[in-house]
Amino acid sequence: MRLINIWLICVSTSLPVLAAASPEPQPTPLVVASWGGAYQAVLEEVLFEPFTAATGTQVKTVPYSGGLEILEATPPDLIDMTKNAAMAACEQGQLIPLTFDDLPDGADGTPARRDFIDSAFSECALTHLLYATVIAYDTRAFKGFIPSRVHDLFNLQDFPGKRALQDIPDANIEWALRSFDVPRESLYPLLSTPRGMGLVFERLDTLRSHTLWWQAGNEPVELLESGEAVMASGYNGRFFAAIAEGSPIQIIWDSQIQEHQTWAIPTSATNQAAAQQFIRFATSTQRLAAVAERIAYGPARHSASALLHKHPDGFDIRPHIPTHPYNNQTAITKDVGWYARVRDHLHKRFEQWQSGCSP
Amino acid sequence: MKATLNTLLRTSYVAGLGILIGLSAAVIANFFVAGILWMNDSLLISPRSRMMASSEWLLLIATVMVPALGGLAVGIIRHFIDEKRFHGPPDIIATVQTRQGVPATQPGLLSGIASLLSLGSGASVGQYGPLVHLGGLLGSLWSRLFRMDISMGNIAIACGVAAAISTIFHAPIAGILFAQEVILRHFSLRALAPIAVASIVGYVAANTILPQPPLLQIESAEILHFWEFGLFLLLGMASALVAVAYMQSILWVGRCASAMPIPAITRPAFAGAALGVVALWFPEILGTGGENLRFALIDEAFSRWELAILLILKILATAWCLGMGFAGGVFSPALLIGSLFGALFGSLVATLSGVNSSAVVVYAVCGMVAVTAPVIGAPMTTVVIVFEMTGHYPLTIAALSSVALASLTTSRLFGRSLFDRQLHQRGIDLSGGRSKALLTAHTLQALINPSCLQLSPRASVNDAMLAMSQAQVAEAYLVDAAGRYLGTVHLHALISAAPQDEARQYAPPDDLYLYSDTPLWESMQALREFVGERVPVVDRQYRLIGAVVESDVIRAYLDILADMRREEYAPN
Repeated sequence: MRLINIWLICVSTSLPVLAAASPEPQPTPLVVASWGGAYQAVLEEVLFEPFTAATGTQVKTVPYSGGLEILEATPPDLIDMTKNAAMAACEQGQLIPLTFDDLPDGADGTPARRDFIDSAFSECALTHLLYATVIAYDTRAFKGFIPSRVHDLFNLQDFPGKRALQDIPDANIEWALRSFDVPRESLYPLLSTPRGMGLVFERLDTLRSHTLWWQAGNEPVELLESGEAVMASGYNGRFFAAIAEGSPIQIIWDSQIQEHQTWAIPTSATNQAAAQQFIRFATSTQRLAAVAERIAYGPARHSASALLHKHPDGFDIRPHIPTHPYNNQTAITKDVGWYARVRDHLHKRFEQWQSGCSP
Repeated sequence: MKATLNTLLRTSYVAGLGILIGLSAAVIANFFVAGILWMNDSLLISPRSRMMASSEWLLLIATVMVPALGGLAVGIIRHFIDEKRFHGPPDIIATVQTRQGVPATQPGLLSGIASLLSLGSGASVGQYGPLVHLGGLLGSLWSRLFRMDISMGNIAIACGVAAAISTIFHAPIAGILFAQEVILRHFSLRALAPIAVASIVGYVAANTILPQPPLLQIESAEILHFWEFGLFLLLGMASALVAVAYMQSILWVGRCASAMPIPAITRPAFAGAALGVVALWFPEILGTGGENLRFALIDEAFSRWELAILLILKILATAWCLGMGFAGGVFSPALLIGSLFGALFGSLVATLSGVNSSAVVVYAVCGMVAVTAPVIGAPMTTVVIVFEMTGHYPLTIAALSSVALASLTTSRLFGRSLFDRQLHQRGIDLSGGRSKALLTAHTLQALINPSCLQLSPRASVNDAMLAMSQAQVAEAYLVDAAGRYLGTVHLHALISAAPQDEARQYAPPDDLYLYSDTPLWESMQALREFVGERVPVVDRQYRLIGAVVESDVIRAYLDILADMRREEYAPN
């Protein structure tokens, strides 16, 4: 906060000069790549608008749904990236290295270095929340037996109907292998072998004609709500937002895949100073807790987790957070180092399989 | 009051010992396993690192060069061990069984390092043998520090072994059983308490200090029909054949290796390079093969042909690596070989019977323990490991069915275990029980009395009798100018002889003599028919060293057995 104050003083003292020089003393807007939908609405409310109010810098958003393509041509100033994408981009030199020395301490006084969760700091990215990719189902679709395990995603006999799955290997391959009772600890070593990938595609083959592929984070919610799909993979926050508004959706927490969501700045960003300022602003204890209380993602600071309590509508938010002990029992921690390295190879094989060739 | 206090103090001492050894063994075990994983990841041995490798060429070079260079390092280390062989569980077993006190420290530690290098560089060897050995060595180091007697020292060794097993398998009861079944080979109340404490501490520490994931997690394994237990018994018998083939291959390559025209120091490097070349086509044979163990439990992961090929390759690769001088154990490869065989058996059953039999995971687990148990000579331990790792009772009973017949069949065809067979080759025979092993381990050397009456072979009867009466003995030994033993003359035979005759004529032709390196066990057998007081003792050049008094041999025999009984039955 102190830095922001200093910045504000600088801005306010320079204002008369700027006013004399130009009739429109508008700072360059900050362009943020964001994921749209309910999630972006929360960020607008608790991060973007307050940031503009505090600094005068306008925040412009551009749509983003993962991947590294956004870094080509004219990239934004700041990207809300998954950690594995950030690591891959960092290795290719497309992101600037970050320093974390000026992050504010936690609200309880814990130094930032210890306040953030394990491995929140990476070379070019700072974790701000922990989200989960989960399986959810349409509660209207099944009577009696209800799906409860990852195995049920592949069980068309007991749970017939379309599946909406994300158009990338991530999560799909972990779940396919988990359905063979492979323990969580062995997933990535086994996925690293041709035999493991063979099993994965064998399993995914059973869903081939029953799958709708989605790309943007709000699509699985819409596909479930409209009844086009009976089960879908998706981000827990999106499903939560829909459930909070009364949609007939239920989350299966079994084998949820947890990943870090990070802030990262492209090398060719034009407004890097504002981006860095925004990162400091958006990762304070209170801001992280405010985001989590509205969209049910796990905050990246311990001090923020300790503050979590009620959704603005008044109900307890904690049981909806992926890291809640009750939800966390069979959680898979995404091996982002692995993904960052094998990304291209993996995507190629996945696309080959999707196009019907045996990979 | 004082007695109660003493008991409490003694109990605390025993518990403290268990805690100390358990904790240190657990830490070492976890660091050892973490070290292997770290090396496998850094050296492109583990599938995860191979998948993440940046170029195909790098992978190709690493696959051949890493095992070769690892082998070179191992060969060099071996050069610094006097016996030119690595130490392992058999050395721990021999130390305890023959009450030698402490296993050799320097070769033991060098063997530990060599095992780490072997495993880290992808040799097809096991990691549990080295861990058992290091655990036992650690226990004995503590016992030396506290100046314990041999009996307590043996218990300390058993504590270290139990903690190591408990840590790596997350199986404290199996740890206790293994220490008693394989190392101590007796069950005593006195040993149980510290071993149990060490085992429990190992289990707790395993989950807190650098925790490693357990070897095996099985979520569901239903046994569908009771008649399948008959098949599990059959699988046990068939597994015994696999186990025998596996053990014989290891011994066979070991024998052939020494005949190869390659210097011993570079033999492991050559073996590593050859392993790497085969691994270009079959990367599954590298390392301990944890991923394949997991795949063997999945129905669809292997075709039947793949199972058979991998089974044979893994047996050959392990025999090749161990026989050619890599350091490591036989346990982890046995687990993989057994589970591949079990899976093959299970899939054949499903096809031949045409019935919907239990999932392949059940057969794979049965095969796994049925091959492993006879190799390490620990039927109960392996069954309990299955129980503690899976918490699955019916699966444990299925495993027990297989293990029972596998152990019986193997003991008839091969012997109690590979360890016992290796010890037998070194002259330590445990097949006759511990008392025989103990008595075999002790020689006459300490009992020899060098002061005995020696006579020239040309001495007359008269001279001989005179010398005997002066020395107050009833027998004298005839020795030539070079000190070689020629025979014994007894006073009673000389009394009625002509005084001028050569005494030598009256020496009985078939008198008993013993070699100084004759084990007590054989001495006792020889003395069975002996009538007299003393027996002459010669070295291997027939030079007379002295004589042993029969009663001394009997006393030594009784003392050794009493020590053994005290270790096994004393209250604390």
